[in-house]
Amino acid sequence: MSADAHDHEIWRERAAVYALDALTGDERREFETHLQSCVECAAELQTLRPAVGALSQSVPQLDPRPELRDRVMSAALGETRATAVTSPPAKAIRVEKAKSPLRWLPVAAMLLLAVGLGVYANGLRGRVARLETELDDARSQSALLQARVERDESTLASTQGQLASAQGQLAVVTAPDARRVALAGQKGAPGASGLANWSPTRGLALSVSNLPQLLAMRDYQVWLLTKDKPVSAGLLPRDAVDGRTVVFMAPGGVEPIGVALSEEPEGGVPQPGDRIYLVGLMARAQ
Amino acid sequence: MVEPAPERRILERMAAGDGDALRELYDLHGRAVYSLAVRILRSQPDAEDIVQEVFVQAWRQAARYDATRGTVVGWLLMQAKSRSIDRLRARKARPEQADDAQRPEPVDTGVSADVQVVRVEQAQRVKEALERLPVLQKTALELAYYEGLTHVEIAEQLEQPLGTVKTRIRQGLLKLRDALGGTGMPDVMRDGTSK
Repeated sequence: MSADAHDHEIWRERAAVYALDALTGDERREFETHLQSCVECAAELQTLRPAVGALSQSVPQLDPRPELRDRVMSAALGETRATAVTSPPAKAIRVEKAKSPLRWLPVAAMLLLAVGLGVYANGLRGRVARLETELDDARSQSALLQARVERDESTLASTQGQLASAQGQLAVVTAPDARRVALAGQKGAPGASGLANWSPTRGLALSVSNLPQLLAMRDYQVWLLTKDKPVSAGLLPRDAVDGRTVVFMAPGGVEPIGVALSEEPEGGVPQPGDRIYLVGLMARAQ
Repeated sequence: MVEPAPERRILERMAAGDGDALRELYDLHGRAVYSLAVRILRSQPDAEDIVQEVFVQAWRQAARYDATRGTVVGWLLMQAKSRSIDRLRARKARPEQADDAQRPEPVDTGVSADVQVVRVEQAQRVKEALERLPVLQKTALELAYYEGLTHVEIAEQLEQPLGTVKTRIRQGLLKLRDALGGTGMPDVMRDGTSK
């Protein structure tokens, strides 16, 4: 209040910049301190508020898409409101309405209090908005990380699958009771060949090559030949027709003397038909 | 002299959990909130996010609305402005998206063609007052309000001394205030919550 006219002109300029929220942080704090002791600047600020508010309405008015209304409603009404329902409407600080055109000139103390509260509330709102923005950013980051983790887990699972398969093959091949079987192409697939290792405890490891193109609705089925009758070891995966080693579990109680492969209706059959493409008999046990 | 604002009754109903009241509030002011967000962010999806945030917040905080701080629409627009500027700053902080947000352009850019442009008399009067300002005053005001720049940043952008920018901002605001005073207060400030 005791500042000279020149000084006050500087404060008035700051009031205008402050009203637009365009002061730097230090200047803003300095001005807010000044506001607490200067009714003139507080009043000046209040006269500028309508002009600032007007800027928000001077933009071209656009109709939002009708869907936005539903989106807003479901976002708002879909969530539970923690406190508002039980809290009574806030009793605002009552300010008498002035009838003079100078509606902004209330009791000085009340004005200062209102400005002070407004400043404080503005600060809080700004902080809340910033925190919410940071929270949003953190959520995005979290979603990205989650996606990356899922991708890595998927890669890991795939790698683990390959590893398990390799270990299965190795287990069969290196089993003390493993017996090696060379499979030869038969009529209908003379160029085909295969190599199997059989272990009664660890199963059958089989790789094949040069089989005929498999037709739709058909499967290759692998058989363990016994003295009695062929026992199915399982279907050859469709992506394993050329070189990849596949491990089949050892059926219980089977003592094979050979291995065969036939083409069968999709899903396999209890006993092989006549399209037998590979047959091999076992070498003697070591 | 001034009727109690219907908006305040809407807020009271919202505070009591009345969802229809929120619909009424949206129907009254959703367009203004959306338009301001589009002006600042120049992006329809971003502006829609802001509208959602503002009205969800209004729903949550209806009971805490303080009429001494201004009108309901003023409250909503202040939230919209603050959130839009925050988003604009966050976008500028990410270099790959910064270009389109760096420079102010004519106000109608960035809006898809299917959005109908509607002007109300009130908005037109305010806009005309702004348009009549000398270009430096107008630009300084727009950079501060719609771009969220500090007066220091405005001075750099306009290549003007700091003191000049502050003076222009004040002159512009005063002229805008005077122009509005001649035809009545803007609706934003009108519903009897003056201090």
